[in-house]
Amino acid sequence: MLNTRTDAPSASANSYQLALQQLTDSALPTGAFAHSLGFETYIESGVVHDEESFGVWLSAFVGQQLSYSDGLAIRFLYEGVPVAQLDSLLTAQLLPRQLREASIKMGTRLLEIGSEVFPSPELKAYRELVDTGRAAGHQPLAFAVVARSLGVPLTEALAAYLFAAVTSLTQNAVRAIPLGQNAGQRLLRNASDDVAAAVRRIARLAPDDFGAVSPGLEISQMRHERQRARMFMS
Amino acid sequence: MSSTAAEAALETAAAPAVKSPMGELELRIEHRGGKSVAAHQYHQGALRVLRPHYLDESGQVCYVVVNPGGAYLGADLYVMDVEVGDGASLVLTTQSATKIYRTPGSFAEQRMTLRLGERAQLELAPDQLIAYREASYRQNTHVTVRPSSSLVMAEVVTPGWSPDGASFRYEELRLRTEIHVEAPGGTELLALDNLLIRPSLNDVTGTGFMEGRSHLGSLVVVDPRVDQALADELHALTAGCDAYTGVSLTASIGGTTGLVLRSLSDSTEELNRLLGACTALLRERWHGQAPLNLRKY
Repeated sequence: MLNTRTDAPSASANSYQLALQQLTDSALPTGAFAHSLGFETYIESGVVHDEESFGVWLSAFVGQQLSYSDGLAIRFLYEGVPVAQLDSLLTAQLLPRQLREASIKMGTRLLEIGSEVFPSPELKAYRELVDTGRAAGHQPLAFAVVARSLGVPLTEALAAYLFAAVTSLTQNAVRAIPLGQNAGQRLLRNASDDVAAAVRRIARLAPDDFGAVSPGLEISQMRHERQRARMFMS
Repeated sequence: MSSTAAEAALETAAAPAVKSPMGELELRIEHRGGKSVAAHQYHQGALRVLRPHYLDESGQVCYVVVNPGGAYLGADLYVMDVEVGDGASLVLTTQSATKIYRTPGSFAEQRMTLRLGERAQLELAPDQLIAYREASYRQNTHVTVRPSSSLVMAEVVTPGWSPDGASFRYEELRLRTEIHVEAPGGTELLALDNLLIRPSLNDVTGTGFMEGRSHLGSLVVVDPRVDQALADELHALTAGCDAYTGVSLTASIGGTTGLVLRSLSDSTEELNRLLGACTALLRERWHGQAPLNLRKY
């Protein structure tokens, strides 16, 4: 661990710490509150109806989608794969339309906020690609560009990103199912094991693994397009 | 064993080796004198095609791929290269199910390259995929279309087969398809469809994966006439089937769009019925053709 000192945190050792907290705070206005990323379909069908059943979905989502798409995209960016190439891969791989649009919507917001709050040449370059129609602007890439420019190590960036996603999804589930606030906190605590396992798994995935998604999650994300009554945009 | 440790073990076991193909097939179809014919044909080893036939009066040619060996085994590599020229039309199917037997310490692999010319039509309709106990299989399909091409790819993946009748006893299945569009401004990636099923590492039967179903069907369509109304129509068409189905659209590139249909069910027959209903609609509407009726030889 980087910061094992017991005295006041050193500004140099983890100068990115507060910035990373701001970047992954659920109050960051990217619009995450408007997306279920497919779990609303499971609520509609009754498969997700309480704390336990939402936990099953969340675990599958972290282990599959967030690992093989978002997480791997973040790792590849850190490893120097050009952002434009990863952006095009994500657009092609996020086959359910609403999921793709959610990633781009939240990514675009993150690019705007990031440009004001955490400006860097790399972020400016990504934003220019998006503004000129040469990239779509995906959330995990906008995040990765900012985190990398802040000096956040990959492992910490991945854990923070995944846990932020888990947090907003859980908050959304608390409202939608609905669940009690304490149930939400129990879910988050349990999900931290899944996040840790995902961070380890992402480190060993190969390029061909990128975008491997499970059919069940994908079908539910697709079916959400035709769901009649819904709280969420995805 | 934790799942990441097991994955590492699996990766080591499946380290790719330099392989010479067990079977090779090349096929180039051109439009000549009102019908589609093979302008180039080559096969080597355990892959060949049957004599072409014409299923209707449209000029569309149908080729049946045969694997005389009957199955894919460990470290087997099969390579297929198919080109459908400007204005030509091809149905490509298989003689029987693709069977992957035990592949200890290795994996069987199929690499397929498909290239479609202007207004070319390709319908890929293979039989279902069956992976036996302890089988690993990788299928890599690389497709390049023009904005005016018409591509339909259907596929059914079964839960495999094991002597004790249990499902999902194979090691790993990877079916990875890239579809690129060759537009005037350059070639761009339209869709990346990556299916990875590893029953040896995780329970794949439940919520978030197979949703309690056993069989997976996929339909990928790329055509300038694909739009949201078509996606909605196909979704409605599948409503009568005993299957859990989703349909969505890719982004558009150079005026063409992809449609992806994914379906979970409990039998090959039900999925074939569902996918067949969808492709029948497309054949009728876009090409004035009757539903595909493949008699297997």
